[in-house]
Amino acid sequence: MTAMSMQRPSIWAVDSRVIVYSAIGAALYGVLVGIFKIPVPGSTAVDVRPAFALVPFFGIAFGPIVGLFTGLVGNMIGDQISGWGLLTSWNWSIANGIVGLLAGLAPMMLASMWSKGLMNKAIAGAAAGAVAVVVGFLFVFTDMIKDQMDFSAVLSEEYVPVIIGDLIATIILVPVLIYAWEPVKDRLGR
Amino acid sequence: MNFAPRYLGRGSWLARRDPRVLVLAVVFFVFAAIQVWDIRLVALLLVLALAYYRSARIPFREVRRQWFIAILFVSLLVFGNGIFASGRVQRLPDGAVQHIYGYLPLLGTPISAESVTFALTQFLRFMAMIAIGFPLAFAIDPAAFGVTFARLGVPYRFAYAIDLTWRFIPSFAADFRTTMDAQRVRGMDLGERVGGPLARLRRQVPILVPTIVNAIAGAEDTIDAMDLRAFGTGRRTWIRELRLDPTDRVVLLAFVALFVVATVAGFTTSSSFLWIPPFLIPS
Amino acid sequence: MPDRIVEIDRLSFRYRRASEPALIDLSLTIDPGEVLLVAGPSGCGKSTLIRAINGLIPHAYPGELTGSVLVDGRPTTEQKLREIARSVGTLLQDPARQIVGATVEAEMAFGPENLGMDRSEMWRRIREVSATAGIEALLGRETANLSGGERQLLAMAGILMLQPRLFVVDEPLANLDPLTAARLLSTLRHLADEGHAVVIVEHRVEEALDLRPDRVLYLDEGRTKYLGNVAGFLEVADPSAVKLPFEVVLQRFRNGPVGAAAAAPTPPVLEVGDPARAPRLEFRDVRAGWGEREVLHGVSAKLGAREVVAVLGPNGSGKTTLLRTAMGLTPTRVGEVLVDGTSIAGRSVASLATTFGFVFQSPSQMLFARTVRDELEFGPRNLKRPPEALEGIVDAALRRTSLDSLEDIRQRPPLTLSFGQQKRLALAIALALEPPTLILDEPSAGQDHRTAALFMREVLTIPGLESIYLVTHDVDLALAHATRILLFRDGQIVADGPPGTVIEDEDRWTSCNLRRTSLIRANAHWRSPEQRFLDTEALARLVLARDGSASGNGRKGDSSVGAP
Repeated sequence: MTAMSMQRPSIWAVDSRVIVYSAIGAALYGVLVGIFKIPVPGSTAVDVRPAFALVPFFGIAFGPIVGLFTGLVGNMIGDQISGWGLLTSWNWSIANGIVGLLAGLAPMMLASMWSKGLMNKAIAGAAAGAVAVVVGFLFVFTDMIKDQMDFSAVLSEEYVPVIIGDLIATIILVPVLIYAWEPVKDRLGR
Repeated sequence: MNFAPRYLGRGSWLARRDPRVLVLAVVFFVFAAIQVWDIRLVALLLVLALAYYRSARIPFREVRRQWFIAILFVSLLVFGNGIFASGRVQRLPDGAVQHIYGYLPLLGTPISAESVTFALTQFLRFMAMIAIGFPLAFAIDPAAFGVTFARLGVPYRFAYAIDLTWRFIPSFAADFRTTMDAQRVRGMDLGERVGGPLARLRRQVPILVPTIVNAIAGAEDTIDAMDLRAFGTGRRTWIRELRLDPTDRVVLLAFVALFVVATVAGFTTSSSFLWIPPFLIPS
Repeated sequence: MPDRIVEIDRLSFRYRRASEPALIDLSLTIDPGEVLLVAGPSGCGKSTLIRAINGLIPHAYPGELTGSVLVDGRPTTEQKLREIARSVGTLLQDPARQIVGATVEAEMAFGPENLGMDRSEMWRRIREVSATAGIEALLGRETANLSGGERQLLAMAGILMLQPRLFVVDEPLANLDPLTAARLLSTLRHLADEGHAVVIVEHRVEEALDLRPDRVLYLDEGRTKYLGNVAGFLEVADPSAVKLPFEVVLQRFRNGPVGAAAAAPTPPVLEVGDPARAPRLEFRDVRAGWGEREVLHGVSAKLGAREVVAVLGPNGSGKTTLLRTAMGLTPTRVGEVLVDGTSIAGRSVASLATTFGFVFQSPSQMLFARTVRDELEFGPRNLKRPPEALEGIVDAALRRTSLDSLEDIRQRPPLTLSFGQQKRLALAIALALEPPTLILDEPSAGQDHRTAALFMREVLTIPGLESIYLVTHDVDLALAHATRILLFRDGQIVADGPPGTVIEDEDRWTSCNLRRTSLIRANAHWRSPEQRFLDTEALARLVLARDGSASGNGRKGDSSVGAP
């Protein structure tokens, strides 16, 4: 009798699974990010981009590498589809990638919460995603060098509006996606 | 909306270049452009970029929408920066004084010859960077992305993931439309604009969740298909051969030179400082 | 035999998260030049067997495995997927997901690239394989723009590139029109004649027999029910579980009662009214399409308020577009669409949803809510139904689709339901808006023979429905259940009438790229002209009754098997 069992590879392993989920995340983000943007009343600069929730969600669900790729490549593709250009805001793409990467570390860092049922997972996911947004987007302050923008301009015109919008999307949609995905995941064979 | 990477520049002079040239051109150009603040030189860069863009022969009709959005974004960004910088203008030569025209109502931000020049310079530079970037999407054979990045040093698994991303985009866009239709026949009004941002965000859930969950659930088959054809199990070759011909080398060298000149000039000349056109300065 | 490709000995396998094994005590050998047909209903263990042969079990799917699988004489557990891939090529069920390349050449080169093949050799094989697979015309195309059939052929070409000794093909006929299916089957037959081995998994036995399999493995619930030659298989197979040729079913009926099918009633039919008097849906010279492409080129038809209308025709002929136009999902460019006598111009999709319950092909493309109850309330809420009415609406929808028999159904997450249950939930969702008419897009997609027939029966017995319009490529299903057929080709109606009449013109039928199934031939042979088109069991019973009464001297009373 040969009873076979397999262990999940480490979160840093790059197998077909990671490559396919990365590509799916990036493609979904690239396609969906430009489609719905919800303006927030009373502010011209704040947009809620629902599809942004994909970045932390893919990190949380499939690991830091998938999260990084989803944010980085997905943002580039979204920029390209909208006409902004793949590399025009390369530092923003990196910021998106960092968000996905950080969110991907959550299941490891919040391991105790992770094993305690769906609701805890959803809460932990939203919290981890929110932290990842706040930290990851600090990278957009590179615009001070890249575009010679003023600190207060980056802060008030870029950083704060983007994290407000993306925090809203993350906190509301990441739990929704975790709730939808977890039961489906359990039905797949892998 | 067409999401597929469209090879609109097929057959053009630029599309015949080694795609690595197109990627590196953007990199060198962007890093050159961000160092230049003299509006005369930035205008020159824009002319160069537009000439390069033209060589891809992308039909304007097909990319009107992209240009429109790009110009809109750039305008908002530049305008916003001007407001929030509260009149502080970067990259002025030492000791320069500002020539103030007046102040914005409510905000009190001063408008000066210098802030206007700064905004114009930024605007032109963004347009140049966008023009240089367009051919990446429209003048590279969609099947060549992976090998291009692989040969630029990206590990081959990730290079392939870029190929796969382009492969998925049209399918997901189609699935997304199907889901929208499926919800419309359930009485969902996609055009509804009422309610606060939170309510409106929640209303996207019926569209987003099926699109995303379906895409992920379908991954299993794709992973199987890749494993079954030995992806990631050892040395990989690429069917697409990339070779720099003499023209490619010349183009590449030109962009490298542009970057070097911009960098050197930044340290040795006033190219990295604003230049205020005399006619903007009130007498 | 040293040359044996696959040797499976007492294999059992249970997936990591499953409680029951998917495959139990299976032994099997596959030799060069052999064609093995694996048949059985959904969930019989076919997919697990495929994964065990191609090495995904145990390399990608964790679980508990006992027994052994040898490929090329070596256990798969000791080989890398890279090594097995050189011997076993697998064509997965859904070509759209198997294709990873953005262009036809990129897809074909994918396997060879991963094995580190020489560039010149790759190009040589692309030339060779594209000729073998008959896809030279596709070279240079982007895969996103290929049709379903073209994708299937390309996926096959991608496998051919690796020149494996064994081809494993999973339900290849599901999405293919007869022409493409014939082409694929002839490629496979040719490979077997050249000394390769072929394992084809298919519950459409009638069509798979064209491949002339040497042996059949018949699986049910993970166990081997039969392994041997075709003749023996046809004697034991359950005609309700797999689709058998009519002659075979008839023979089985003559030999005595057949499985569960013997008790199945004739499909019920809704009360039929005259479509010309008060049509529910009328097309007046309609032209419609997406983007720059016009798909419907002037269609006129009246669909009655009390009818079951099936639209048949080749892929891409505009069948689905026709019904989408009725729903306002595809805009009408020229002409007019009338619903219950008034034009739909200016009406919203939402308002039409109370007339037509539109059921999409894949249920998972609309399920989003946390519970079945929320899912069912979504539509009525959108239409501003009073909150106090919602509970009754949900109950009625669940009852009409027999979902109410499932425990705790209201609280279940929709995506955890089985595929069949999701299909019924999709029906319930449409019914929650209380439409008198259902529109079904490919109701049999993704289901095997038994469940598709069962599903159609269930739909036809839903209380309170007046009419059903459906688009399908399942010819027998349409003919046996519809009261009227619209035959479509190139965006136009080429025939319109009761099933028995529409199939009379054989040339027209085949020019619409439709298969003349054994059931059609048998209906033509046995059925009297005034009778409606009968499904396999009803026709078999009719013939048996005639056997009994006429005993060989009545009209068409000879007991020879249906005319070719």
